[in-house]
Amino acid sequence: MPNAILDPTGTVTSSAKPAAPRAPRLASLRGKRVGLLINTKMNARPFLEEVGRLLRERYDVTLTERVKVNFAVPEPEDVIKELAAEADAIITGVGDCGSCSAAAAADGVVLEAAGVPVAAIITDSFIPTADAMAALRGAPGYKYATTAHPVAVLTQDKVKERAAQVLDDVVALLTDESTKAQA
Amino acid sequence: MTAADNEGAAAAAPDPDPDEAQRAIEYCYSRGWSDGLPLVPVSQPLLDAFLATTSKDPDEIIGALEQVGRDVNVRTAAINAAMAGCKPEYFPVVLAAFEALMRERAARGGGFQSTSGPSPLIVVNGPVREELGFNTAGGAFGPGFRPNATIPRAVGLIVRNAFGIVPHVLEQATQGLPGRWQVCIAENEEESPWEPFAENGGVAGGVSAVSATLTRTMEFVDNRHTPNHEDVLRDLQDTISRIGSQIFPRSSVALVLCPEHAQMFANAGMSKADVQNWLLERCGRTGAELTSMGKAEVNTKTFHGPYEGDEAFHKFLAGPTSIPVIVAGAKNAAISMVVRIFGEWSGTAVPVGEKK
Repeated sequence: MPNAILDPTGTVTSSAKPAAPRAPRLASLRGKRVGLLINTKMNARPFLEEVGRLLRERYDVTLTERVKVNFAVPEPEDVIKELAAEADAIITGVGDCGSCSAAAAADGVVLEAAGVPVAAIITDSFIPTADAMAALRGAPGYKYATTAHPVAVLTQDKVKERAAQVLDDVVALLTDESTKAQA
Repeated sequence: MTAADNEGAAAAAPDPDPDEAQRAIEYCYSRGWSDGLPLVPVSQPLLDAFLATTSKDPDEIIGALEQVGRDVNVRTAAINAAMAGCKPEYFPVVLAAFEALMRERAARGGGFQSTSGPSPLIVVNGPVREELGFNTAGGAFGPGFRPNATIPRAVGLIVRNAFGIVPHVLEQATQGLPGRWQVCIAENEEESPWEPFAENGGVAGGVSAVSATLTRTMEFVDNRHTPNHEDVLRDLQDTISRIGSQIFPRSSVALVLCPEHAQMFANAGMSKADVQNWLLERCGRTGAELTSMGKAEVNTKTFHGPYEGDEAFHKFLAGPTSIPVIVAGAKNAAISMVVRIFGEWSGTAVPVGEKK
């Protein structure tokens, strides 16, 4: 076209992103080091701590905890490296807002690329934004666990119920499908 | 205009073809570039006219959103500004506004993706207001004036198109707010009793400059019948202290005062800092009030532990950058606006660049 209408989106497109590799799954969680990456959103800490407690009960995992530097954006590179070094598997969440759900998905994709299997937990209201972020990060179709929105208003008993409900999905996300049945 | 002029203009530029214009507008819609309203289709000559207004290199990166892996250069910003309906000569103000906004921690973080759907508040100071035809008087929040209307729209289109933050996908506003990407006020320096707002952001008076912050909504305070300035301050205090807008232990508001209120305070001997300090000390609520509306929970579970004591008074505003004061509107009624800031103002203004 001699007088083209100019494109306002710039040159960067999601399709140009290289595919992000997914970490190998664990054969089993038994005796593994599990890192909890808490995003500071309301009830995120008790939710993840209960998931961790249940995993310790079931698989004798060792737990470590970290608080996200900024819930709204993905973790910086040095923190990702440290997380990948100190844990065999990571659970992060709870993504229950526009930026933090996307950030949880992004952290998941980046940590997977660093070699650690991740279970990100996101409330079901934010599936489109988590999917969009994963695709932007080179991992279209990235899998994460969901729980019903909202989480922030739940009582502590209800938080524990929710943690128990999501547990099987978390285990399935972190371990090899073929060994899941024996777990 | 004489008949001869008319003929001359017609020869230089024939009447535009509305069918062709509509086809171009629909093309822009079909590409997903629009915020819902028609866009100006941008050609290379129009882009060149924008780029000619700045000494910046077209490839210079002027902003990035690390979390989505996107950035924007001068050229892409210019295309969006032209699409928004800006004239080329507005472009240095767009660049300054965008730089000012990207100084905000909330904007660089998740602000544009947020469920709160915040809108920039852009404030213009200095001679550029007159030069470009900004509205500096009545109806400060719009509509009706091309620079005031198109410059914030340009910022919104940059966020949509260059950063890729699109509603229902990476933009997750629960309800959003009216006026998102529409608020650009030119301070009424002529009727303000105080220093220009840009001076509070470190740019000397008389220099064209832009300040910006993210905001959630605005609430009017109509108080036009009292001779007592402290009555008006108490009225502002009441609105600022509303609990519904309180989601963290601290909050911030921009006070957009009408000239009448500002002059009333000045006539009572108050500087801008005096007004700020009066409100800093008094805006807040008791622990019991916050608790009765469920707001203690935010503090208990997420931040620093419970609010202390039912009767203890908790101040909402932290300091001068928690309550920037701007003077805008007509001197025809005593109506001011409390604008809720999303996060906290950076406390800086950006000079409007001149073509070197």
